[in-house]
Amino acid sequence: MKILVANRGEIAVRIVRACRELGIPAVAVYSDCDRGARHVRDADQAVHIGPSEAARSYLCIDSILDAARRSGADAVHPGYGFLAENAQFAAACRDAGLTFIGPASETIAMMGSKTAARAAAARAGVPAVPGTLDPVGPAVAPAEVACIAREIGYPLMVKAVAGGGGRGMRPVDDEASLKDAVRAARSEAGSAFGDSAVYFERRLRRPRHIEIQLLGDNHGTVVPFVERECSIQRRHQKVVEESPSLAVSPELRGRLAAAAAAVARSVRYSGAGTIEFLLDESGAFFFLEMNTRLQVEHPVTEMVTGIDLVQWQIRIARNERLDIDAAAALVPAGHALECRIYAEDPDHGFLPSPGLIRGLRPASGPGIRDDGGVAAGYVVPMFYDSLIAKLVAWAPSRGAAIQRMSRALHEYHVLGIRTTIPFFLWLMAQPEYIAGQYDTTYLDRLLAERVAAPGATSFNQLPDGDDDLVAVAAAIDAYLQAGRRVDEGATGAARWTGVARREALRG
Amino acid sequence: MTFEVEVNGRLRRVTVERSAPGRFRVTLDGTVHEVDAARTGDHALSLILQGEGGRSRDVQIAPSGPPGEILVGIDGRVAAVSIDARRSRRGAPDAAAALDGEQKIVAPMPGRIVRILAAAGDAVAARQPLVVVEAMKMENELRAPRAGRVKLVAVTPGMSVESGRLLVVIE
Repeated sequence: MKILVANRGEIAVRIVRACRELGIPAVAVYSDCDRGARHVRDADQAVHIGPSEAARSYLCIDSILDAARRSGADAVHPGYGFLAENAQFAAACRDAGLTFIGPASETIAMMGSKTAARAAAARAGVPAVPGTLDPVGPAVAPAEVACIAREIGYPLMVKAVAGGGGRGMRPVDDEASLKDAVRAARSEAGSAFGDSAVYFERRLRRPRHIEIQLLGDNHGTVVPFVERECSIQRRHQKVVEESPSLAVSPELRGRLAAAAAAVARSVRYSGAGTIEFLLDESGAFFFLEMNTRLQVEHPVTEMVTGIDLVQWQIRIARNERLDIDAAAALVPAGHALECRIYAEDPDHGFLPSPGLIRGLRPASGPGIRDDGGVAAGYVVPMFYDSLIAKLVAWAPSRGAAIQRMSRALHEYHVLGIRTTIPFFLWLMAQPEYIAGQYDTTYLDRLLAERVAAPGATSFNQLPDGDDDLVAVAAAIDAYLQAGRRVDEGATGAARWTGVARREALRG
Repeated sequence: MTFEVEVNGRLRRVTVERSAPGRFRVTLDGTVHEVDAARTGDHALSLILQGEGGRSRDVQIAPSGPPGEILVGIDGRVAAVSIDARRSRRGAPDAAAALDGEQKIVAPMPGRIVRILAAAGDAVAARQPLVVVEAMKMENELRAPRAGRVKLVAVTPGMSVESGRLLVVIE
């Protein structure tokens, strides 16, 4: 087997690592701006697939199939995002004689349509969040759109039929804001997924986002795992995930796992997949959607179960039988948290912050896992997702995991671009977060209150006294820089003195 | 050597003298700090503060665009710092432009213009969205910093823009 990794960034690095551990050669693909990217440097082979625009490289099926042919790969791992949930891509791989590491093209097509997936869940006896059964396409007249929305009832959510990753989603509180929300969701869905169809879903009051990871093999076995909670979301994008959830008892876990497995079995699911649920205040849960791929947050499950999900994806694709203890998969060992480190500026509304990474020191030490995708000297491009690393903390208890995460965030240095690290330092100290009293509306509410509060401070606010220290450090740095410039301007003996002086400084 | 150092908007006078190899006497607003400093990388300094029982601090320092503008990282947080900013800004166009009532909205990051939501001559309210810029797969609405009238829209949909590119002028 030789695996072509049809992705980039941290997930491509993660897949290359799994290949290495299984003794399988890995082929990276890269666009113009990713020539120096870490996944290219870490892989055994690398093939250029086109310009920086994703549509002409990582989303271009022909270029990727061509790269597989040229590199001699016989299998393709799609990662997440890009072509991972593109049924045509899975079919094209199969037609080209390549093993697609994921479910069958037909399964992706069915579960990829959010409306078809909701129907499939209902057939498996799992209730979905109330909403439209059919897509609301661009041809539907505005008056009819408003009528459909009224039937579902406000507040509701406009979502892309082809959606995922929080894109193409807009909350709507009343009819007045429906038109703008539908337009915005369609526009974002069109550019993100090439399909602008949307559907409506009722918005539950303060739900928690709970999801069940599962693996299915080609021999009919489906194994569900202990849940992940992903309720810490900003504008419907997950930012912190954990496993297990404080809101899920062993009894509820059993019911969630059984429901997820029923949906997966009903579509003869093969590979790694995730069933997402919303859990309401009364403890009732509803099917939200199924992701027919590896999830960004898969490491928290790996940390509490000891199972390598990416290795299993590959082994399942090789027709191996799942030999995981299904009962043990539902018993978490300790607690794991993941913070998604994005190249975004939390002090300016989380605006994207692409650019040159001048310095990078990831956190390490006991219980810490850094799934990173960048390196010092790399220019984070504006063309792709802003996720640059996932920081995962494991500890025997949730409280200890939060403390460990804070310690690791203090250790993590990214220099040159803005990141969400200071925001996570703040979040890890919030009493509601520490107490586990949150739902999917918590973070947006907290951030809105923070902005509105008088004398709102920056996430980068320094503790007392550190302003002085920063001034001292900056001045010493400027002093040393001035010395260096003088040295560089000098010649002969003077330059040697300069070198000697720098050597002395190091001591 | 004396520097004017601006940390998070507060201007300080800082004098640095080398007292021994790797040792510095730093005077900040009249207070003297004895500091042992070692370069630990191109953009990193390790500081040991002699007056505080040998307190150890790790600091990262990198340029952030214009000369004299740097970012200082400490304990997971980042501070924007200017060094001798007044000196280097001398002769450059100053903030007076903002006083005559014009407000320039510039691209905060490189990206692609998705939509223009206002036209020249339009009256706009404070916080009203003006331009949608896409970067890193996200659509970001740039809003009017205050109420006014759109004097100029300098971009068109589909355009790629660099960070700092003028997008809209409000008067």
